[in-house]
Amino acid sequence: MFLIHLKNELWKLFARKRSFLGFGAFLAVEGLILLLMQLPKPTREVSRLLGKNGYAFEEYYSGLTLGLLMLLFTVFLIGGLFLALVSGDMVAKEAEEGTLRMALARPVTRLRLVLVKWIACVIYGIVLIVFIAATSLLAGVLYRRGLGNLFVFSPIEQIFSVFETREGLIRFVRAIALLAFSLQAISTLGFAFSCFNMKPAAATILTLTVFFVDFVLRTIPYFQGIERYFLTWHTACWIRTFHTLVPWWDIAESLAYLGAFNLSLFLVGAAAFCSRDLKS
Amino acid sequence: MNAPLISIRNVTKRFGARVAVDALDLEVERGEIFGLLGHNGAGKSTTIGMLLGQIFPDRGELRIGGAEVFTQRARALGRVGAIFEAPAFFDYLSGERNLRILCEYTAPWDPARAAEVGRLVGLEDRLCDRVRTYSHGMRQRLALAQALLPNPELLILDEPTDGLDPEGIHEIRNLILRLNRDWGLTILFSSHQLSEVQQICTRLAVLRRGKLVFQGDWRETATGARRARIETDRQPEAHAALLAAGLVESFDREGRALLRPNVETHQIASWLIVRGYRLAAIALIEPTLEDFYLDLAQDISHRPLPIAN
Repeated sequence: MFLIHLKNELWKLFARKRSFLGFGAFLAVEGLILLLMQLPKPTREVSRLLGKNGYAFEEYYSGLTLGLLMLLFTVFLIGGLFLALVSGDMVAKEAEEGTLRMALARPVTRLRLVLVKWIACVIYGIVLIVFIAATSLLAGVLYRRGLGNLFVFSPIEQIFSVFETREGLIRFVRAIALLAFSLQAISTLGFAFSCFNMKPAAATILTLTVFFVDFVLRTIPYFQGIERYFLTWHTACWIRTFHTLVPWWDIAESLAYLGAFNLSLFLVGAAAFCSRDLKS
Repeated sequence: MNAPLISIRNVTKRFGARVAVDALDLEVERGEIFGLLGHNGAGKSTTIGMLLGQIFPDRGELRIGGAEVFTQRARALGRVGAIFEAPAFFDYLSGERNLRILCEYTAPWDPARAAEVGRLVGLEDRLCDRVRTYSHGMRQRLALAQALLPNPELLILDEPTDGLDPEGIHEIRNLILRLNRDWGLTILFSSHQLSEVQQICTRLAVLRRGKLVFQGDWRETATGARRARIETDRQPEAHAALLAAGLVESFDREGRALLRPNVETHQIASWLIVRGYRLAAIALIEPTLEDFYLDLAQDISHRPLPIAN
């Protein structure tokens, strides 16, 4: 029965008009980023950066590089917002609309209900990231007529790396897997807030606020020595797979941190949900 | 003797300083249509919420079919169907998909059973349509269908006719009576519409500000308070004389007399005629639930009423 409940939960999530609109919006943003990347200024900047280090622009301004850039900007611009919106709605929206009461008139336990919803939320997040990654890569490949070599540049993470096609693709896929895992922190935080007695919008806003404040504080030079205590330092672990020498220990530490963070938040949300009154 | 299907013992629920339900004791027998009456905010929905394990009581115990609602949830709610005042559905999904999602919380999906229930509630042609295209009456019927799908033994209906047109109310009422008669379902029916409860329920409980003020067969209790229509040529004078003579307890707003115990209509007729009144009509009025309910409201402001069983 657990799998049937999960299937129904996923059906409810994906059949929403918001899912279609959201996924469509991601495509539109990717298209926009691709368009902006063709403007003279960014092209000139990338060309200058590569040329200064002895790499040919034509070789590294490739389908893979464009795919990664589109993914990066799309996730940064609206990916987090969308995940916070979906996860903030998971319980709070149904409680507000009354459909949760209909479900809880059934013999299903609250813990099972909340667990099924969380897993559905996690799956939704993974599907979303894979969708953005796949469409970004596809758009990049179609535009540059091939994968090509990969060029990664991230000033915040102090990354300047170039990879041959095969290695670049492996790094890209690995980064997607880590990104999908990392962004569950947003989903789980939104979900946990959603389990409390609050409006869906409040859960979304709180989630975004937590991440925004965390990110801003992390980037302030004053906190440079203790940046590992910030959540967004760990959620950014996926980009570190693009270091020439991958800092696996750091990444493993971040994954363990995020796993514990997600589990703890789920338990807090579940405890809140299981002990609260549900009224019309 | 069979154990009651629903048993509520000494249940209290507070929301902050407000007592929503106060030391409630209630029993519903198998096979009956039991009415839960009370004004808005009397505690009906809170009681139903607690019975379905959605609201935690501060004190007391609630059982369905002998199983405790919070500790033996699966057993207690396994054969219960419930609908609420404003049933909520996933509007962007079809009626059938909604039924399936809700049904599968209790039992595996059975398309034949779904078709049968769809026919019963008169939605068989519209189940494939999205719920957002349904009228209010159709949503109520869909709510009834989802409650009936897992083959329940007990139906809990919280204001099921609220917002329906007279035709819809009539349909739902007949359906409830049929479900009780033909399917043998026990029904807990909560409403503040007295005429509905009067036509459907065999026994009832009345809540007032969270307290149980009556439980039992209202008709048996109401026969003690008889009303009569008395029409004379000098109405105000006759009323005052009857009150002064102690034959009548009071007159209500519609001019109906509440007779004193042991006073019969023929005694009043003789008394009036002897005193020169021209009597146009005198007749006992069948007690209505509304009269009973209003008497109860008046009575409890003076003294506690005994709980009939």
